[in-house]
Amino acid sequence: MELLEIAALLLLLLAALLAGGVWIAVALMASGWVGMQFVGGNIPAGSVLATTIWGNSASWSLAALPLFIWMGEILFRTKLSDEMFRGLAPWLNWLPGRLMHVNVLACGIFGSVSGSSAATCATVAKIALPELKRRGYDEMVSLGSLAGAGTLGILIPPSITMVVYAVAANVSIIQVFLAGFLPGFLVMALYSGYLIVWSLLNPDKTPPADPPMPLKQKLEESAKLIPLALLILLVFLSLMLGWATATECAAWGVLGSLAIAWWHDALTWESFWTSVMGATRVTCMIMLILAGASYLSTAMAYTGIPVALAEWVGALQLSPFALIAALTVMYIVLGTALDGISMIVLTTAVVIPMIKQAGFDLVWFGIFVVLVVEMAEVSPPVGFNLFVLQTMSGKDSYTVARASIPFFFLLVVAVALITVFPQIVMVLPDLAFPN
Amino acid sequence: MIRTALDALYLAAGWLAGAFLVLIFVLMMILSAGRPLGINIPAGDDIVSWCMAAMAFLGLAHTFRQGEMIRVGLLIDTLSGRTKHVFEVGSLVVGCGFVGFFAWNAVVMTWYSWRFADMTQGVIAIPLWIPQMGFTSGLVILAIAFVDELVHVASGREPRYEKPKPQTAEEVVEQAIQSGV
Amino acid sequence: QTKWNLPAAYPTDNPHTVNLMAFAKDVTEATGGKLQITVHANASLFKAPEIKRAVQTGQAQAGEVLISIHENDDPMFGIDVIPFLATSYPQSQKLWKASRPLVEKRLAAQGLMVLFAVPWGPQGIYAKKDIDKVEDMKGLKWRGYNVGTNRIAELVGAQPVTIQAAELPQALATGVVNAFMTSGSTGYDSKAWETMTHYYDTQAWIPKNITFVNKAAFDALDKPTQEALLKAAAVAEERGWKLAEEKAGWYLEQLKANKMKVLPPSDALKTGLGKIGDQLTADWLKKAGTDGQSVIDAYRKM
Ligand code: NA
Ligand code: NA
Repeated sequence: MELLEIAALLLLLLAALLAGGVWIAVALMASGWVGMQFVGGNIPAGSVLATTIWGNSASWSLAALPLFIWMGEILFRTKLSDEMFRGLAPWLNWLPGRLMHVNVLACGIFGSVSGSSAATCATVAKIALPELKRRGYDEMVSLGSLAGAGTLGILIPPSITMVVYAVAANVSIIQVFLAGFLPGFLVMALYSGYLIVWSLLNPDKTPPADPPMPLKQKLEESAKLIPLALLILLVFLSLMLGWATATECAAWGVLGSLAIAWWHDALTWESFWTSVMGATRVTCMIMLILAGASYLSTAMAYTGIPVALAEWVGALQLSPFALIAALTVMYIVLGTALDGISMIVLTTAVVIPMIKQAGFDLVWFGIFVVLVVEMAEVSPPVGFNLFVLQTMSGKDSYTVARASIPFFFLLVVAVALITVFPQIVMVLPDLAFPN
Repeated sequence: MIRTALDALYLAAGWLAGAFLVLIFVLMMILSAGRPLGINIPAGDDIVSWCMAAMAFLGLAHTFRQGEMIRVGLLIDTLSGRTKHVFEVGSLVVGCGFVGFFAWNAVVMTWYSWRFADMTQGVIAIPLWIPQMGFTSGLVILAIAFVDELVHVASGREPRYEKPKPQTAEEVVEQAIQSGV
Repeated sequence: QTKWNLPAAYPTDNPHTVNLMAFAKDVTEATGGKLQITVHANASLFKAPEIKRAVQTGQAQAGEVLISIHENDDPMFGIDVIPFLATSYPQSQKLWKASRPLVEKRLAAQGLMVLFAVPWGPQGIYAKKDIDKVEDMKGLKWRGYNVGTNRIAELVGAQPVTIQAAELPQALATGVVNAFMTSGSTGYDSKAWETMTHYYDTQAWIPKNITFVNKAAFDALDKPTQEALLKAAAVAEERGWKLAEEKAGWYLEQLKANKMKVLPPSDALKTGLGKIGDQLTADWLKKAGTDGQSVIDAYRKM
């Protein structure tokens, strides 16, 4: 069989297994095994399975993954969201759009301690949604901005999505993390800019400002944010002062989160163990998918399909922009039905060689991938931020999805911006890792 | 009796995985905070990576039974009754096949490590089969859990790996967070 | 037509990988395309620790690995990382000649056949201060990543620090580590001059990569193909040594050009390190037994 025919067969098989309800990790392994049958030379498909997955799983830098997940689990169980709303709200009354900017800012801040978009969205929405409704803010824009801003959880490091990408694409986790900061600010600016423009165009839909609060009280409300600010500072300083390597700062993050939970009187043996087991299960789920994906990509490497595909795309002589545009469309389509992790692990084996061939930096491409995964989070029918908000607001998924449309397009704008100005992504990693 | 034993096995392995997570945290804190104090764990980085592999695989059966091993529900969630049952059994057969195949090969790999007397690399030398044990036993336990479910579902009962549809906002959020995205 | 996979752990532009690619090309040409070797660089097929096992069990037909990572399996694989035993390329070549029969025998017992070996750069000491004698190394935060580097730290009273290779640049920048041993090329690649000031060209040891083949896969080839393969391997070994030696000097020039003090070790330091070397050779002999003794004797006679 020709390589491209094998590739098409594997793709069909994978799609059939996934649609049939087979667990993603198992479907990946099955496709990898079928792929191995086309490799000559009596390669033992089973030994390859065990060896590659053992080699990929026993990894020092992967150990940051469960720690970041654990950190989010601990913080989610505290009163953090409540305090974040009260601490930020008094300062944002003067902006057109007023308290809706709290959504963006709070998600950005929570995103810098959580690695998950659904957790960020849920944590902030838990308190912001009822508060905004009570004050009479437009519900569609509240919902949309929460869905959109929640995705900052995976763009601003730490980020589970980035770890998964970095492992799948074999690039440095810390470099992808560094690359995420400026695009994170860019997306926040785009969201806030949109909220300002929208409220200037719809002055009747923004409720009057809250009664002004005396400065002293404002400061008192914001003082409750100090523990969180200290946590962010702790993680940052542990890295900068050389207390910790990039991987170890995840452990400092856990330590800080435990301290915050203790400060909030939310730390009991029971809640401690609940958070440990929650983080363990999420990690196990992700690791088995990564295991399946690494087997499939090893099988692909044996067959030589990725190289052939890259050559084929190279022969098309697409401009780099056209390639990125095509990939964006492909990911948007995939993103309607797949979650972020599956999207990444299913595509990297074939897309990475093409991207290299077209001359893109793999760290840059990581941020591109995170942005398209963010779009997937807010596109129906499968989008976790939509699920979160659907239940929290009691609206149907169609309404939440419609509310998110402007923010979906702002992410498309962000993709266009980082493609035209790749420096936005690369300036920080290049500064830290000149080469 | 067997039922209780199996459930206890999945849970115990899951707890062990949780303990490895706590151990990773503790080791990393000692490595990091220990440097200025002159404390060093020889091969600490290797030990952490073995804990990582043990944690990731020992917790699998528990994760599976808690309904947190994800699949694409787009089609299967729309099915019901007999058709759905057929799809569930089919998925479980594929799952048993490949998880069993994986577990078997992990056993063979570990057995080879023992037979060739392979040692770990780096600063401390211990037999390689020891760190590989967590990985291998986790997979074997997962394979048992899959066969257990296949027998259970094939005899006409409801799958136990499906999370009930979330009822409250809290449950949705919990599930969304556990999706890892 | 036969197709082989050859997993390797280093990036495409690494001199070892470049040499492997040239070797694969030579083989294709010499056999008229009858044997084609695909080099999977950058650990894209198997990670470094798994490569030997993969070739042993037929998951790949050939592979390249830094042989000293397997020193815990067999002390003979760690002979080229005994500090201060062979401290120049000619000496290192002699050591390889003396140890090759035994290394080949040990690998053959695992179903592997040695094709060729290519050295890395000689290992020197990077530091932020003058080191005139071994006592100056006391209290340094010293990166220990294998048996030898940890033993050195122990013997000179430095504090061994565990840091993964990938995290070394950051550890240097933040002062987690303030001294370590590696080659001029690794120091050049990681821009050591941004954090370190001194390089002592101790040539403490010269590690090697060994490229091997699964014996059964080799036996399955026809005679002319086998001969062509072995001939290409010999060429690759010679090319690799020559290139490494030429490049080693160039890297030190680059360190100098970037304002590092590139110094030969002082006599006092040399003597002190020599004593440590004797100690570590004795350590190694205890593990390696009579076979080890015979190799060291043969080497010393050359
Ligand atoms: Na984040
Ligand atoms: Na979606």
